[in-house]
Amino acid sequence: MTGKTNYRRFAPVTRRRFVAGASTLGLAAGLGVGPFIRRASANTEVKVLNWQGYGTDEPWALEAFKAATGLDVVHDYYNSESEMITKLQTNPGTYDVIVTNSAWNGRASELGVIQPIDSSLISNFADLNPSFRDSAVLSADGKLYGVSWVWGMTAIAYSTDVFKEAPTSVEILWDPSLAKRVCVRDDAIEAVSFAAIATGQDMNHPADHDKIKEKLLALKPNLATMWSSEDDWNKQFQAKAFDVSIYWSGSAFRSKNTFNLPVGYFVPTEGAIGWFDGLAIGTDAPNAEGAHKFIDYMVSQEFYSKWAEVGPPASANNKAMEGLPDSDPSKAFYLDQENVKRLQFMAPLSDKERQDFSDIWAEVKTEFAK
Amino acid sequence: MRRFLDGGIRLYLVLVLIFLYLPILVMALFAFNRSPLYGLPFEFDLVWFEALAGNKRLLQAGWNSVWIALANTVIATTLGTMAAVAFGRYTFRGKTLMQALLFPPIAIPWLVIGTAMLVFFFWVGRSVGAPGMARGLHAILLGHVALSLPYVIFVVGARLNDYPKALEEAAATLGATPWQVFRRVSVPILAPGVVAAALFAFAVSFDQFVISYFLAPPGVTTLPVEIYTSIRKGFTPEINAISTIIIAVSMGLMLVVARFYRFGGERSGNE
Amino acid sequence: MTPTTRTRWAIFSLTGPAYLWLACTIFLPLLAMLALSFLDKSPLVPKPPEFTLGNYGAFFAKDFYWSLTRWSVELGLWVTFFCLLIGYPAAYALAKRIKGRWREAIFLLIVLPFWSNALVRIFSWTMVLRSNGIVDLTVQSFFPGAPAFDLLFSYPAVIIGLVHSYLPYMILTCYIALQAIDDSLVEAGRSLGATSFTTFRRVVLPLSLPGIVSGSALIFVPVIGSFMEPRILGGTKGATLGMNIEEQFTVTANWPLGAALSFILLAIVLVIFGIIYPFLRRQGGNA
Repeated sequence: MTGKTNYRRFAPVTRRRFVAGASTLGLAAGLGVGPFIRRASANTEVKVLNWQGYGTDEPWALEAFKAATGLDVVHDYYNSESEMITKLQTNPGTYDVIVTNSAWNGRASELGVIQPIDSSLISNFADLNPSFRDSAVLSADGKLYGVSWVWGMTAIAYSTDVFKEAPTSVEILWDPSLAKRVCVRDDAIEAVSFAAIATGQDMNHPADHDKIKEKLLALKPNLATMWSSEDDWNKQFQAKAFDVSIYWSGSAFRSKNTFNLPVGYFVPTEGAIGWFDGLAIGTDAPNAEGAHKFIDYMVSQEFYSKWAEVGPPASANNKAMEGLPDSDPSKAFYLDQENVKRLQFMAPLSDKERQDFSDIWAEVKTEFAK
Repeated sequence: MRRFLDGGIRLYLVLVLIFLYLPILVMALFAFNRSPLYGLPFEFDLVWFEALAGNKRLLQAGWNSVWIALANTVIATTLGTMAAVAFGRYTFRGKTLMQALLFPPIAIPWLVIGTAMLVFFFWVGRSVGAPGMARGLHAILLGHVALSLPYVIFVVGARLNDYPKALEEAAATLGATPWQVFRRVSVPILAPGVVAAALFAFAVSFDQFVISYFLAPPGVTTLPVEIYTSIRKGFTPEINAISTIIIAVSMGLMLVVARFYRFGGERSGNE
Repeated sequence: MTPTTRTRWAIFSLTGPAYLWLACTIFLPLLAMLALSFLDKSPLVPKPPEFTLGNYGAFFAKDFYWSLTRWSVELGLWVTFFCLLIGYPAAYALAKRIKGRWREAIFLLIVLPFWSNALVRIFSWTMVLRSNGIVDLTVQSFFPGAPAFDLLFSYPAVIIGLVHSYLPYMILTCYIALQAIDDSLVEAGRSLGATSFTTFRRVVLPLSLPGIVSGSALIFVPVIGSFMEPRILGGTKGATLGMNIEEQFTVTANWPLGAALSFILLAIVLVIFGIIYPFLRRQGGNA
């Protein structure tokens, strides 16, 4: 190689300039690490692990809780249930309260990352809906590992601009008149569960996987896109990217009430996915007493009635649900037993089932992309 | 003809810059738009900047990101440049292998690396009896610097294919002290590559989500972590507002730097 | 060159810190991941793991992995190609045709978009590319009745988003390589009667090759593992291996499979660069 580099007339770095720059950076770094050095304050803090923006981190709630108990609430977040488990396992004795989905609570207790809860310390426990409160998936070996908190459904949302009447069947997703107007979430469990419902199978443990694959493949001509987050969904819906979509109930009410989008929502006669979330306490929680207090506040009517203003899922507290104003459309919807009866609730899946569902969905998506 | 050609070249550069800035402009546009769902038509409003001013957590996250990125830039650029100099200057056994080792940190998805790091730090911490040491500023910096190093080495390496070792030797023979050789000969050769590498190191850290997400202690958050963990629920144009402020401030700083400080290594005989 | 003790010491002390850092924070954890890819369950499951080749076997047993891999590599090639096509002339113009302070300013302006969050950038692209988006509305306001513009959820949208994300790498690595070339070499070529094109091909291009290689590596490698841009901009049309790897960590909690797929991805990268490397060396040597 024969290239030669030219470098003349370069402004030199003088020693003084270098020293000045370095000391500025040093000072800046010193200021910057401030927030990272935290006092050990186990008894004045409750550490919560949850999805972001999911109730426990509402600023007004933290203020009210602090006023009542003197405890600060500190958050850490997860982006998937499997990451929640990872965080619990690699940070033993760090978290006080963890939001666990009904399908994952059992896994967490089996791995020993959450500890039994003393329900006598939860003053609102008696008001909780027994069908969630006493559910087998929240306990193990006769001990309570999760306090039921909220529940909701994954059913079908539609544009009220396009549909003058609410559809009734899950088959609307496969309706030939809706070519390129349907949206589903890019989520293996949800997609497979819906196809199982549409083919009349047990959603959690379907027997005929080929039928599910076939049903999902038949979705191809209708699929406009796949959504990945509520935010994504709202933006796509606002831009009229699709007319009908599998969607979460709480989100549907938020889209309609908070963002004034023309969203309708229905539970198909064939059924839909039901789910509920519990509040758990981490093993060796630094502040187990505070954790019980925080859980008690989270399942209180007081907390829920205020949270209801931003459109949360349904509360597992009966009093809280009945205490909602009649003007809130979600009240009638969640209390409608016709809707609730159609739901199949998400159950814990084995690793093999999870992998099978994931592989089915991966294969179907690959066909979609072709 | 020459002038026409130069005009065309400027036009081309302007078009490339427009392409690069199109989404940035859109981002800024929606920071000033009233609709929380990025709806059109555009309605001017400062509501998102007001919301941002009251959002302490997001602002703190922004600051944390800036400090981490700065510290990362200093460390990664220094260490990476040293390694790149060795690769450019010497031929030695194992060099190809060492260069190939730069691929895994880029090729393997960050989520996989981040998970591996989290579990590994946890193991190390547990075996030395301090499980708490797996998380914190030091762990974040360790991870960010490691992920930035390959970028720095590649970028500086693009400059050093033909390292003019003879020049350094000549300067030394003519009586220059090692410091003078470094300052007068090595630094000017390296400068454009180092500046580019530093800018990339900053960018890698500033957008790095997984490492901070796994390794930050509870209650401490960075801007990317705020953005990515809020995606399930959705983020508001406050994110656009803070991003716009960051870009605007950086642009101002950079133009000041460009005005006063020539790192481009002006070629001789042009002026 | 004969490596004396002194140069050995210099090499060691120059590369030592960076590689020690990389070893402690990346290579060792990744070695653990590599070991994990041969086990049948995650390390955090309280049952003893067993050795298996099943995770690698799964890759070859299922057709969709082959499609996903092929698409990922194709995507990487397309994006690298377009970055080179757009970036190299821009770098050349910047290095050889722009003079004075403007050059530093433009140089900095090219990196700056990088300092924004990738996710925010991608969402901005959706606003630009969709029907009723920025481009569509602009076109319609100037030419009412023009055909609707809607690129969102298509393969081109994925390419546009990725080229945008990675273009600065190509421009800057090519720029710093081109800028190091002495103009007198080019002039010498001309005065010896070579045409501009010949000078470019025989002098400029080989000398800037390291920049092209660095830039291509920094683009191709991360793009084949990408999953965010394909998912958000591609809709159903953006399926990649990176997405599947991500799902093994978030949905199925099957780390061994996710790890195995990652190392297959890495192996593909190494094989491709292994094929190109001797060719590059020859090119460099001939110049």
